[in-house]
Amino acid sequence: MKFYEALGLEPKLALDSEDLKKRFYDRSRQWHPDRFSRGTSEEKQRSEEMTSTLNDAFRTLRDPVSRAEYFLSQSGLELPKDAPPELLEEIFELNMALEELRGGDESAREQLVSAQERFTNMLGEADTNLADLFGRYDETFDTAVLDQVRAVLNRRKYVSNLLRDVEKELNVHSAN
Amino acid sequence: MAYSDKVLDHYNNPRNVGSFDKKDPNVGTGMVGAPECGDVMKLQVKVNPATGIIEDAKFKTFGCGSAIASSSLATEWLRGKTVDEALAIKNTDIVNELSLPPVKIHCSVLAEDAIKAAIDDYKKKSENVESQTKAHA
Repeated sequence: MKFYEALGLEPKLALDSEDLKKRFYDRSRQWHPDRFSRGTSEEKQRSEEMTSTLNDAFRTLRDPVSRAEYFLSQSGLELPKDAPPELLEEIFELNMALEELRGGDESAREQLVSAQERFTNMLGEADTNLADLFGRYDETFDTAVLDQVRAVLNRRKYVSNLLRDVEKELNVHSAN
Repeated sequence: MAYSDKVLDHYNNPRNVGSFDKKDPNVGTGMVGAPECGDVMKLQVKVNPATGIIEDAKFKTFGCGSAIASSSLATEWLRGKTVDEALAIKNTDIVNELSLPPVKIHCSVLAEDAIKAAIDDYKKKSENVESQTKAHA
């Protein structure tokens, strides 16, 4: 996996963020284009490519969610298109409430505030869950664990999109 | 990206928006979604149990213009079809009718999934009704 290789890491789901940062800084210094200003054109090109790869690698790997998505896509496991069924009904109801609030129905506000709290908690749970699964996969290399990672990511994406919409709507209407 | 005229037409004048009572044994409900964009689509069919013909179809979609247009078009096509004819509707038919660009093909897939989910739900319900009727007979 290119991003792991660029930072000299074994492909693992759980990474230490301080170690990651140190590797990124060390290698960025090592490959900094300024150090190759008098080098051959091949060397210059190589330093630019490495710098750009290191930037992409760090940006992708430092966030557990984008890291897991990268890991799964590199393992040939794309995010599935189907949504978590237990969430769909709730998402639908919430979208209805959002629509009502946009239409000026203030009674929808209470529902949105409690949804905001619930979804913030759900994101926290998903993150804890991911951290556990990362550790389990790194120890066992069990692809069934990767499927669970995929399911959690899927759910998390929905929840974070919704939370964004809910917060946007609550802010707009409290500002008025 | 510009929407095609047909997409705009469905988006501005969506057909058959609304819902049926999902507890009605003649109603099938399909609820599907796409995590990458947060779209949610609810599509319902009301079937005449004697003829197996879809008498009415309704939808409510939260999502982009193409998702709304795909589900709106689907409800138009469903009306008057038998349950089996409805299952033959393919997402490519929707893509062609609405001239959807490649990045919006997933919207038509969602609509096809919603149709299948709604019909499945109806079939399950009607089987239950049948087995219950038999059990009582």
